Amino acid sequence: MTTSPSPGLYVHIPFCSAICPYCDFAVTTGGSERRGRFIEALLAEIGRDRGSALDGWDPFDTVYLGGGTPSALPVDELGRLTAEIGRRLPLADRPVISMEANPEDVTSQTVAGWAQLGVDRLSLGIQSFDAVELAFLGRRHDPAQAVRAVELSLASGLTVSLDLIYGLPEQSPPAWQRNLERAVELEPHHISCYQLTVEPGTAFARRSRRGEWNAPGEDDLAELFFRTHEFLATAGYPAYEVSNFARGPRSQCGHNRKYWEGARYLGLGPSAHSFDGRSRWWNHSAEPVWRSVVEAGGNPEADRETLSLEARALEFVMLGLRTPCGLDLGKLDGFEPEDVLRRNQRVLARAADEGLLSVEGERLVPTLGGMARADAIARSIELRRSRGFGGC
Amino acid sequence: MKNVRNFCIIAHIDHGKSTLADRLIQHCGGVDEREFRDQILDSMDIERERGITIKSNTITLDYTAKDGKEYQLNLIDTPGHVDFSHEVRRSLMSCEGALLVVDAAQGVEAQTVANLYLALEYDLEIVPVVNKIDLPSADVDGVLEEIEEDLGLDPFDAVPCSAKKGIGIEDVLEAIVTKLPPPKGDPEAPLQALIFDAQYDAYRGVVLVVRVKEGTLSVGQTAHFMHTDKEYDIEELGLLRLEREKRKSLEAGSVGFVIAGIKAVRDIEIGDTLTDADRPAPAPLPGYKPAKPVVFSSMYPLSSDDYPDLIKALDKLALNDAALTFEKDSSVALGFGFRCGFLGLLHLEVVQERLQREYDLSLLLSAPSVRYRMELSDGTELSIDNPALYPDPTLIEQAYEPYIRASILLPERYIGAVMELCRERRGEKTTFSYLAVGRVELTSELPLAEVLFDFYDRLKSMTQGYGSFDYEMLDRRPTDLVKVDILVNDEPVDALSQLVHRDKARARALHYCDRLADTIPRQQFKIKIQGVIGGKVIARSTINAYRKDVTAKCYGGDITRKRKLLEKQKAGKKKMMVVGSVEIPQSAFIAVLKSDSSS
Ligand SMILES: Nc1nc2c(ncn2[C@@H]2O[C@H](COP(=O)(O)OP(=O)(O)OP(=O)(O)O)[C@@H](O)[C@H]2O)c(=O)[nH]1
Ligand code: SF4
Ligand SMILES: [Mg+2]
Repeated sequence: MTTSPSPGLYVHIPFCSAICPYCDFAVTTGGSERRGRFIEALLAEIGRDRGSALDGWDPFDTVYLGGGTPSALPVDELGRLTAEIGRRLPLADRPVISMEANPEDVTSQTVAGWAQLGVDRLSLGIQSFDAVELAFLGRRHDPAQAVRAVELSLASGLTVSLDLIYGLPEQSPPAWQRNLERAVELEPHHISCYQLTVEPGTAFARRSRRGEWNAPGEDDLAELFFRTHEFLATAGYPAYEVSNFARGPRSQCGHNRKYWEGARYLGLGPSAHSFDGRSRWWNHSAEPVWRSVVEAGGNPEADRETLSLEARALEFVMLGLRTPCGLDLGKLDGFEPEDVLRRNQRVLARAADEGLLSVEGERLVPTLGGMARADAIARSIELRRSRGFGGC
Repeated sequence: MKNVRNFCIIAHIDHGKSTLADRLIQHCGGVDEREFRDQILDSMDIERERGITIKSNTITLDYTAKDGKEYQLNLIDTPGHVDFSHEVRRSLMSCEGALLVVDAAQGVEAQTVANLYLALEYDLEIVPVVNKIDLPSADVDGVLEEIEEDLGLDPFDAVPCSAKKGIGIEDVLEAIVTKLPPPKGDPEAPLQALIFDAQYDAYRGVVLVVRVKEGTLSVGQTAHFMHTDKEYDIEELGLLRLEREKRKSLEAGSVGFVIAGIKAVRDIEIGDTLTDADRPAPAPLPGYKPAKPVVFSSMYPLSSDDYPDLIKALDKLALNDAALTFEKDSSVALGFGFRCGFLGLLHLEVVQERLQREYDLSLLLSAPSVRYRMELSDGTELSIDNPALYPDPTLIEQAYEPYIRASILLPERYIGAVMELCRERRGEKTTFSYLAVGRVELTSELPLAEVLFDFYDRLKSMTQGYGSFDYEMLDRRPTDLVKVDILVNDEPVDALSQLVHRDKARARALHYCDRLADTIPRQQFKIKIQGVIGGKVIARSTINAYRKDVTAKCYGGDITRKRKLLEKQKAGKKKMMVVGSVEIPQSAFIAVLKSDSSS
């Protein structure tokens, strides 16, 4: 991992004003008192005397405040947080700081406040520009607030990303198209489009179990996926990952790219995951559990795993296939590229035949059709025994 | 001996035999209240889970009657389902009387009648018991009328009770001691003991359940098994309480267990007579014709590594289940397996479930089939129950298929619909006769293959639960048979081949194609599924290639989860059958084959 990119820092803020029916993140509601205690605990975790294994993090060149809804915290609280991070943790010269925000929290004051703290990028939880869809998704903003949030954020000079969700039951392709058109009209730097998935334990999962869910068909979802990619590419937002689109390389989310490129990251706060290139570990996901451990001066790590070479290889492949630049087998730790290519000759030839990917030297480069089937391809590639992680 | 009563409890399925047995056992102090559980005699997991009795169970109870005397009651609880009627037959052979239980809400049903006839065949004294009188829908008077009209029994002998609520239990016990005769027999005569059941005990081997008809059976005696002509020394015997209770001897009239160093149930015959090798009886007791399998299916372990375990498991199951037959078989798609014979589809399900549960084996079963007879043009005859062995059709002179006589009891108003069902199922000589007011018995001669699959479910639903069904084997009749093969991307899936009547071939093939199309997950390429007879396509369906298979989100915490899921799916792929490079999951086979019985 000698020439590996700088690590990223993720901080999880679990509070939301209400829980959306599709959400399976570690989230909770909670009043200002509980949020106050949370911030104290988070500051404690940042300042925690780390064991030798956790020291030696190279300077972080990205910081990502995610959640939950970080924008729901008062600006001065966020300020204490960023200050503590700056004091305690190694940061690169000019780290890129991203933050998630919900439209209802975006005002000219808050945006100015966040910019003041050094926030560079705002990821806005827009989800839809349609009032009925927003209500269905249990969101607390209306279309007008969504538009205003984007405009205010852009006006303040931040790099702005919009999150949108597609594949709602009953959502027609033209209805989704209107969302995309609305998003592009606003000219943000970046758009993320996620297919709605019913995750276990969510309110939607319960509805689905009761049979009150009219899931769109596989073919319809595939159709929406391809339309989204084609429309956004034409509109000047080529995809750089299955669900992520940017106006240009500089508008891409450097922090999220670390996940797909096998870079290292440190996660703080409940449920946050960390990865040092070999092991992954994660904090307790329930905020009260995480907090009580931190308050007692303990290590809030819930569990960890050390990845075998095979496991790392599988992640490398499955994540690489999600990006249009694909993966470089030469960067696969413990495997000889020729060996992998030989073993998978048949599968790769067939995938190439079907127009899903091309083999370019030691690189596997998926087409859009290939990205759409990244999981299937990753499943069919045989990875048994044979060097480091790497991305494009 | 005067104070002994040997009786069994017989009824249509679910009329409350086992629950009544519970109450009788409890009333006689046959079980510690702490150890009691519902349907206590149903000891197999699968019986408890499904709430049905599969094997007959015998227990000896002590009852102090109103006349002040102590009685020894040997109670046999029997299964109600038609697949297990051989269990009833065996039990009847060892009794002088039977409690014929009738559900007060359901009334007389087909197995009520069938089991009564069986009991009469063995000259048993019958006491009708009207159970479930606690139910709001109970119609005791109506049921009494049916007992008189449909069964020809004296309604004044009937004892009303609620096994569930414990109402009328003492009346049932009194009826047992006053209305059922004591056994006859001479303890001094040469020994004749009837083997009417056997269990397998992991430590002791075979445990015989016997009824001593004449003479006395004692520990140490050398017993001669008259039919199989084998001799074993009696190691242990006694009464069947909830646990075995050792005794020195069992006299004429009594029922109990015998352990004689026998290794496998296969080594004995149910219905055989035990006699004293030193002082033999002149002749054995009338024998018993073992039940023969009528449904056949091949079982394949999902993982070929499990094949040796399957052999062992089948051997063990057969220790306890003499009706189960099996021989080696193999499939191109599914590898090595066994061709097994069953008494019916419930028996098949029970065996499959026990293998999966008790032996942890994941299995695939091929489409069940009946046994056909074929006359070939060269004059030879063949018995075929396995489509894989189907001869070249041009060589078949004539095929024959087994027929049954169905007896269906139902309210008059459904007769039109049920006659239509019989017609649809190629029924012949369908007639009916009137029973008690508003009720009819319909009989029809039907191909067995037509009633095996979903006939009963259809009957139940079209009669809103009031139709009941029983059948007996009749004969084999000429039939127009074809072999339907299922092709996946032009390669046959041999486990799905089946022999069917020509008129039913297309519907069956379509059904298979559709079910496969529903259950085989989309793959990278288009999949073609066809049903063919010889080279001729009679049904088809297609599965389009999927265009998308990728999760929407993949960030920090999702990566581990996502990778683990892929690892699991990769491992799952290894377990799939590959036919014509199409991966067919076990669930698709199961869905297709299961829907046979519920389509
Ligand atoms: N309400 C009511 N329900 C009863 C009574 N007796 C039995 N049942 C219920 O009827 C169902 C069937 O009872 P079982 O005793 O298992 O019937 P069975 O005749 O042994 O059934 P098989 O052995 O499968 O033929 C169970 O749910 C019992 O609880 C009764 O007197 N009243
Ligand atoms: S606002 Fe975001 S994090 Fe909070 S519940 Fe909704 S989807 Fe989940
Ligand atoms: Mg029972």
